[in-house]
Amino acid sequence: MAYDASQDPTKDVRERIYIPELLRGLAVTTRHFLLNLFRDRDKNTSVVDRKSASLVSTVQYPEERVTYPPGYRGLHRLVPREDGKPRCVACYMCATVCPAQCIYIEAGEYDPADPAPDSRVIEKFPTKFVIDELRCIVCGFCVEACPKDAIRMDTNQHTPSEYTRPSFVYDIPKLLKGPPVSHPSDPWFRRSGSEEPPYQPVEAHSRIGEGRSESHPVKSLPAPAAPVVRFSKGG
Amino acid sequence: MGRPLMVCFAIAFIVALIVALMAAAYGVAYLAEGWFEGGARLSNILFLMLLFVMVIATLLTVAERKWSAMIQDRIGPNRARIALPFLRDRALGGLPHLPADVLKMLFKEDFKPAGADRLLFNLAPILAFAPSFALFAVVPAGPTVAINGRQIPMIVASPDFGILFVFAIASLAVYGTSLAGWSSNSKLALLGGVRASSQMISYEVALGLSLVGMMIVFSTVQLPVMTDAQARYLWQAATDFDFGLPAWGIFLQPLGFVLFFAAAFAETKRAPFDVPEGESEIIGYFVEYSGMKFGMFMISEFVEVVVLSGVTAAIFFGLPLFEEHPWLFGTLLGSVFWIKVVLLCWVQLMIRWTFPRFRYDQIQALGWKRLLPVGLANVFLTGALILWDPSLRALASVGILEIATLLVLTFSRRAPERQSSLAGGTHSSSAHGALPQPAPSAGQR
Repeated sequence: MAYDASQDPTKDVRERIYIPELLRGLAVTTRHFLLNLFRDRDKNTSVVDRKSASLVSTVQYPEERVTYPPGYRGLHRLVPREDGKPRCVACYMCATVCPAQCIYIEAGEYDPADPAPDSRVIEKFPTKFVIDELRCIVCGFCVEACPKDAIRMDTNQHTPSEYTRPSFVYDIPKLLKGPPVSHPSDPWFRRSGSEEPPYQPVEAHSRIGEGRSESHPVKSLPAPAAPVVRFSKGG
Repeated sequence: MGRPLMVCFAIAFIVALIVALMAAAYGVAYLAEGWFEGGARLSNILFLMLLFVMVIATLLTVAERKWSAMIQDRIGPNRARIALPFLRDRALGGLPHLPADVLKMLFKEDFKPAGADRLLFNLAPILAFAPSFALFAVVPAGPTVAINGRQIPMIVASPDFGILFVFAIASLAVYGTSLAGWSSNSKLALLGGVRASSQMISYEVALGLSLVGMMIVFSTVQLPVMTDAQARYLWQAATDFDFGLPAWGIFLQPLGFVLFFAAAFAETKRAPFDVPEGESEIIGYFVEYSGMKFGMFMISEFVEVVVLSGVTAAIFFGLPLFEEHPWLFGTLLGSVFWIKVVLLCWVQLMIRWTFPRFRYDQIQALGWKRLLPVGLANVFLTGALILWDPSLRALASVGILEIATLLVLTFSRRAPERQSSLAGGTHSSSAHGALPQPAPSAGQR
């Protein structure tokens, strides 16, 4: 629709004598005033879902907090195994892909003579895993790059405030948290003496049996309705 | 469900408070009158000017923030709390911000810019505050009540020159603003002061002329006489019930009301006439002031709002003042006056938060080219109608016709050919012709 950008007020008698237009403007503000005065504010933190007649769209921050969307990239965490050690195998993929170069890893090696089962199925583990959270640009490349699902950004937290810069450098004790995750294809699930993994993954990169984490329940989407598009001449 | 009840309760509480204060005002005035002759006037100074006007003005500072928030779909100030067990978690409608603001103003550094004229710099806030405060002296806030044979007036002073006192003292306020602008030794403040003085002097003319119609109608310049004369009926219903259309100034002089309100709004220097302040361009004539001196400028603005409401309520929304009223009925009538004042304050704040600031040339054009000629025409029209029909009914008919015309213009839609030229088929269809657009379905219209 073309808009009359000239805004020539001489055309219309209402705009020429100005007061009717003033009264209309007053009607708009008065409507807002009365609705917001007499109606309860809907405290739903999802503002677009608010149903109240009150037009106030404020979320009172410290008391009310907007929940983050499911894909929100929060603070990093190193994903633990069932036994509490990090899943990380110190492959340096995340440190390599990181565009901000904020990840520093030093790798350690399991002793092959060690009778513990770890040393027979994986060779490396991180002795140092450090993320400088001030450098991090929260791009999520490290999560994508990790072949072992060992680093995630599913904490739904911001980086908390600190008083000194060194406190923003997170090491393994600070990073290792959250629910443990295990996959059927994890090497430490191989039976001793087995050449092949006991399970065949149904689908590549599947997340079947993803530990005890139930933070992302799968919702069944409703079937999309047939799109109704009406065409018209011009328009 | 809770909030409508709470708001209604708050409104009822305010009304009850006004009634109680009004009853107390009459009672104290009665006691003071018994003490010495003219003591009622003295107690009226305390009650009307110090209590009512000052309290409403200070509450308006919070109301402006809270009401503007509601107009703009915000919540507004609610973070200041009172640290008492039951009040800690309650915002109390933002009211604790009032003492917080006052304490902040009182304890701030009283800064004085280098090169400022000491005497005038200190004098200017007083000169801005005192006239607006003194204006209320001639406004009748309630009927004269007879208690035990003593006549208790509810007005500070009733001089013969009534409205002329309002005009004279209102124009004194320009000294405060222009002196503040000049003595601050700041170019922005000077600019604000010059703008304020030119604007206020321009609108003096329109302000004076807008009320000449009312003076002609009631043949008086005394506010109590004018207010009382409006209480009689223009047309009375032909029943025993006491019901009819009162001869309110708003029905007799709607044009005069609009002119007076616009001109007086310019005198208060609030939006849309806030060029002297101009928050977004120059901070205005009080840019160099801090602490309570700035507070004086701010509170004088709100006192002007209350006084303008009071004068408007007295001149255009009459009240029976001079009949013999018993104490209780007089109290109720006085409360009605203050409720009118509060409602008019609300209207002024709504106007202030609805309309954008006028440009400087628009302000001058409005004052000299619109308000002044229309005011002159109003004077001549009123005089002719009064000569033709001294019973005021012809004047009231014309006034109601003016209001009806305004309402018809407000509620009517624009001319259809303008609509179609706006929707203009040629432009939109050629621009978007390649892409078929889904038309809005019938249900959406």
